[in-house]
Amino acid sequence: MPQNDKALLSRLKEQKVEFVIIGGVCGVLHGASLVTLDLDICCRFSRENLRRLEAAVKDLRPRHRLTTNKLPLELTDELCVRLKNIYLNTDLGVLDCLGEVAGIGDYEQVLQRSVPHVMSYGEFRMLNLDALIAAKAAVGRQKDLDAIRLLQAIKEKREQQKDLF
Amino acid sequence: MNGEYVMPPDAGPAWRAAAEYGFDMSLVEDALQLTPEQRLEQHQRALDLILEVKEAGERHAAK
Repeated sequence: MPQNDKALLSRLKEQKVEFVIIGGVCGVLHGASLVTLDLDICCRFSRENLRRLEAAVKDLRPRHRLTTNKLPLELTDELCVRLKNIYLNTDLGVLDCLGEVAGIGDYEQVLQRSVPHVMSYGEFRMLNLDALIAAKAAVGRQKDLDAIRLLQAIKEKREQQKDLF
Repeated sequence: MNGEYVMPPDAGPAWRAAAEYGFDMSLVEDALQLTPEQRLEQHQRALDLILEVKEAGERHAAK
Protein backbone atom coordinates (compact mmCIF):
# COMPACT_ATOMS: atom_id res chain seq x y z
CA MET A 1 0.00 0.00 0.00
CA PRO A 2 1.61 3.28 -1.09
CA GLN A 3 1.32 6.50 0.89
CA ASN A 4 1.54 9.61 -1.24
CA ASP A 5 0.81 12.61 0.94
CA LYS A 6 1.58 15.18 -1.73
CA ALA A 7 -0.89 13.61 -4.15
CA LEU A 8 -3.56 13.40 -1.46
CA LEU A 9 -3.00 17.02 -0.44
CA SER A 10 -3.12 18.15 -4.05
CA ARG A 11 -6.44 16.42 -4.57
CA LEU A 12 -7.92 17.95 -1.45
CA LYS A 13 -6.75 21.35 -2.62
CA GLU A 14 -8.13 20.87 -6.13
CA GLN A 15 -11.56 20.11 -4.71
CA LYS A 16 -11.35 23.08 -2.31
CA VAL A 17 -11.78 20.93 0.79
CA GLU A 18 -11.54 23.05 3.94
CA PHE A 19 -8.98 21.35 6.12
CA VAL A 20 -5.95 21.75 8.38
CA ILE A 21 -3.00 19.34 8.38
CA ILE A 22 -2.55 17.77 11.80
CA GLY A 23 -0.73 14.75 13.21
CA GLY A 24 2.59 13.33 12.12
CA VAL A 25 2.74 15.04 8.74
CA CYS A 26 2.22 18.35 10.53
CA GLY A 27 5.20 17.46 12.73
CA VAL A 28 7.27 16.68 9.65
CA LEU A 29 6.33 20.02 8.10
CA HIS A 30 7.54 21.71 11.29
CA GLY A 31 10.87 19.88 11.00
CA ALA A 32 10.46 16.76 13.13
CA SER A 33 12.58 13.85 11.92
CA LEU A 34 9.81 11.29 12.26
CA VAL A 35 8.20 8.96 9.78
CA THR A 36 4.46 8.69 9.76
CA LEU A 37 2.41 6.22 7.78
CA ASP A 38 -0.77 8.22 7.30
CA LEU A 39 -2.08 11.68 6.53
CA ASP A 40 -4.24 13.20 9.26
CA ILE A 41 -6.37 16.24 8.63
CA CYS A 42 -9.04 18.08 10.57
CA CYS A 43 -11.79 19.23 8.30
CA ARG A 44 -15.11 21.00 8.50
CA PHE A 45 -17.77 18.32 8.78
CA SER A 46 -20.39 20.21 6.80
CA ARG A 47 -22.31 18.40 4.07
CA GLU A 48 -20.71 20.58 1.38
CA ASN A 49 -17.19 20.01 2.63
CA LEU A 50 -17.63 16.28 3.04
CA ARG A 51 -18.95 16.09 -0.51
CA ARG A 52 -15.82 17.90 -1.66
CA LEU A 53 -13.73 15.41 0.31
CA GLU A 54 -15.61 12.55 -1.33
CA ALA A 55 -14.98 14.06 -4.77
CA ALA A 56 -11.27 14.38 -3.99
CA VAL A 57 -10.88 10.64 -3.41
CA LYS A 58 -13.76 9.16 -5.38
CA ASP A 59 -11.57 7.44 -8.00
CA LEU A 60 -9.13 6.14 -5.38
CA ARG A 61 -11.36 3.32 -4.14
CA PRO A 62 -11.89 4.97 -0.74
CA ARG A 63 -12.88 2.52 2.00
CA HIS A 64 -13.70 3.07 5.66
CA ARG A 65 -10.57 1.40 6.97
CA LEU A 66 -11.84 0.76 10.50
CA THR A 67 -15.01 -1.06 9.44
CA THR A 68 -14.96 -4.84 9.41
CA ASN A 69 -15.74 -5.17 5.72
CA LYS A 70 -13.82 -2.06 4.62
CA LEU A 71 -17.03 -0.47 3.40
CA PRO A 72 -16.68 1.94 0.48
CA LEU A 73 -17.08 5.65 1.14
CA GLU A 74 -20.59 6.44 -0.03
CA LEU A 75 -21.81 9.58 1.64
CA THR A 76 -25.44 10.45 2.04
CA ASP A 77 -26.91 13.62 3.53
CA GLU A 78 -27.84 11.62 6.62
CA LEU A 79 -24.32 10.23 6.98
CA CYS A 80 -22.80 13.68 6.56
CA VAL A 81 -24.71 14.81 9.64
CA ARG A 82 -23.89 11.72 11.66
CA LEU A 83 -20.19 11.22 10.93
CA LYS A 84 -17.69 12.73 13.35
CA ASN A 85 -14.52 11.27 11.81
CA ILE A 86 -13.72 9.46 8.56
CA TYR A 87 -10.83 6.99 8.45
CA LEU A 88 -10.01 6.04 4.89
CA ASN A 89 -7.82 3.68 2.96
CA THR A 90 -7.33 4.92 -0.58
CA ASP A 91 -5.16 3.94 -3.52
CA LEU A 92 -2.88 6.82 -2.52
CA GLY A 93 -2.69 5.77 1.11
CA VAL A 94 -4.35 6.36 4.44
CA LEU A 95 -6.31 9.56 4.94
CA ASP A 96 -7.79 10.17 8.38
CA CYS A 97 -10.24 13.05 8.56
CA LEU A 98 -11.19 14.29 12.00
CA GLY A 99 -14.01 16.63 12.92
CA GLU A 100 -12.21 17.72 16.06
CA VAL A 101 -8.78 17.38 17.63
CA ALA A 102 -8.22 16.35 21.24
CA GLY A 103 -6.63 19.15 23.20
CA ILE A 104 -7.68 21.77 20.64
CA GLY A 105 -11.36 21.45 19.81
CA ASP A 106 -13.53 21.56 16.73
CA TYR A 107 -12.55 22.63 13.24
CA GLU A 108 -13.00 26.34 13.95
CA GLN A 109 -10.69 26.13 16.94
CA VAL A 110 -8.18 24.10 14.97
CA LEU A 111 -8.33 26.68 12.19
CA GLN A 112 -7.65 29.49 14.66
CA ARG A 113 -4.54 27.69 15.87
CA SER A 114 -3.20 26.95 12.41
CA VAL A 115 -0.65 28.66 10.18
CA PRO A 116 -0.64 28.91 6.40
CA HIS A 117 2.18 27.70 4.25
CA VAL A 118 2.51 27.98 0.50
CA MET A 119 3.85 24.96 -1.34
CA SER A 120 4.32 24.56 -5.07
CA TYR A 121 0.94 22.82 -5.30
CA GLY A 122 -1.07 25.25 -3.21
CA GLU A 123 -1.46 26.98 0.11
CA PHE A 124 -2.14 24.71 3.05
CA ARG A 125 -2.86 25.27 6.70
CA MET A 126 -1.24 23.24 9.45
CA LEU A 127 -1.50 23.36 13.22
CA ASN A 128 0.96 25.79 14.74
CA LEU A 129 3.71 24.26 16.82
CA ASP A 130 2.14 25.01 20.21
CA ALA A 131 -1.17 23.56 19.11
CA LEU A 132 0.49 20.45 17.73
CA ILE A 133 2.28 19.94 21.03
CA ALA A 134 -1.01 20.40 22.90
CA ALA A 135 -2.77 17.92 20.61
CA LYS A 136 -0.07 15.31 21.08
CA ALA A 137 -0.09 15.83 24.85
CA ALA A 138 -3.86 15.29 24.89
CA VAL A 139 -3.53 11.95 23.10
CA GLY A 140 -0.59 10.97 25.28
CA ARG A 141 0.56 7.71 23.68
CA GLN A 142 4.27 6.97 24.02
CA LYS A 143 4.91 7.94 20.40
CA ASP A 144 3.14 11.26 21.01
CA LEU A 145 5.20 11.93 24.11
CA ASP A 146 8.34 11.13 22.13
CA ALA A 147 7.25 13.52 19.38
CA ILE A 148 6.66 16.24 21.99
CA ARG A 149 10.32 16.05 23.04
CA LEU A 150 11.33 16.70 19.48
CA LEU A 151 8.75 19.43 18.90
CA GLN A 152 9.76 21.20 22.11
CA ALA A 153 13.36 21.20 20.88
CA ILE A 154 12.27 22.66 17.54
CA LYS A 155 10.21 25.29 19.31
CA GLU A 156 13.19 26.26 21.43
CA LYS A 157 15.43 26.47 18.35
CA ARG A 158 12.89 28.67 16.57
CA GLU A 159 12.75 30.99 19.53
CA GLN A 160 16.54 31.31 19.29
CA GLN A 161 16.55 31.77 15.52
CA LYS A 162 13.54 33.81 14.51
CA ASP A 163 14.14 33.26 10.78
CA LEU A 164 13.57 29.50 11.09
CA PHE A 165 10.33 27.87 10.06
CA MET B 1 29.19 10.07 10.25
CA ASN B 2 30.30 7.40 12.72
CA GLY B 3 31.00 9.97 15.36
CA GLU B 4 29.33 11.40 18.40
CA TYR B 5 26.81 14.15 17.82
CA VAL B 6 28.42 17.45 18.69
CA MET B 7 25.98 19.49 20.69
CA PRO B 8 25.81 23.02 19.30
CA PRO B 9 27.03 25.61 21.79
CA ASP B 10 23.67 27.38 21.75
CA ALA B 11 21.70 24.17 22.43
CA GLY B 12 18.99 24.89 24.98
CA PRO B 13 17.57 22.50 27.58
CA ALA B 14 14.87 21.09 25.30
CA TRP B 15 17.37 20.45 22.52
CA ARG B 16 19.75 18.76 24.94
CA ALA B 17 16.94 16.71 26.46
CA ALA B 18 15.83 15.45 23.04
CA ALA B 19 19.41 14.50 22.15
CA GLU B 20 19.92 12.74 25.46
CA TYR B 21 16.64 10.90 24.97
CA GLY B 22 18.11 9.41 21.82
CA PHE B 23 16.95 11.53 18.91
CA ASP B 24 19.51 12.18 16.23
CA MET B 25 19.40 15.95 16.40
CA SER B 26 21.68 16.31 13.40
CA LEU B 27 18.69 15.14 11.34
CA VAL B 28 16.54 17.84 12.90
CA GLU B 29 19.23 20.44 12.26
CA ASP B 30 19.24 19.38 8.60
CA ALA B 31 15.46 19.39 8.38
CA LEU B 32 15.26 22.90 9.80
CA GLN B 33 17.41 24.14 6.93
CA LEU B 34 14.76 22.94 4.48
CA THR B 35 11.41 24.43 3.56
CA PRO B 36 8.32 22.57 4.80
CA GLU B 37 7.73 21.35 1.25
CA GLN B 38 11.26 19.96 1.07
CA ARG B 39 10.76 18.32 4.48
CA LEU B 40 7.66 16.59 3.16
CA GLU B 41 9.56 15.40 0.08
CA GLN B 42 12.35 14.04 2.26
CA HIS B 43 9.78 12.31 4.45
CA GLN B 44 8.18 10.78 1.35
CA ARG B 45 11.50 9.28 0.27
CA ALA B 46 12.03 7.75 3.72
CA LEU B 47 8.46 6.47 3.75
CA ASP B 48 8.80 4.92 0.29
CA LEU B 49 11.89 3.07 1.45
CA ILE B 50 10.22 1.80 4.61
CA LEU B 51 7.15 0.61 2.70
CA GLU B 52 9.36 -1.06 0.09
CA VAL B 53 11.27 -2.96 2.78
CA LYS B 54 8.02 -3.87 4.51
CA GLU B 55 6.52 -5.23 1.30
CA ALA B 56 9.67 -7.19 0.53
CA GLY B 57 9.45 -8.72 4.01
CA GLU B 58 5.82 -9.65 3.47
CA ARG B 59 6.61 -11.23 0.11
CA HIS B 60 9.44 -13.18 1.67
CA ALA B 61 7.24 -14.38 4.52
CA ALA B 62 4.56 -15.53 2.07
CA LYS B 63 6.98 -17.83 0.24
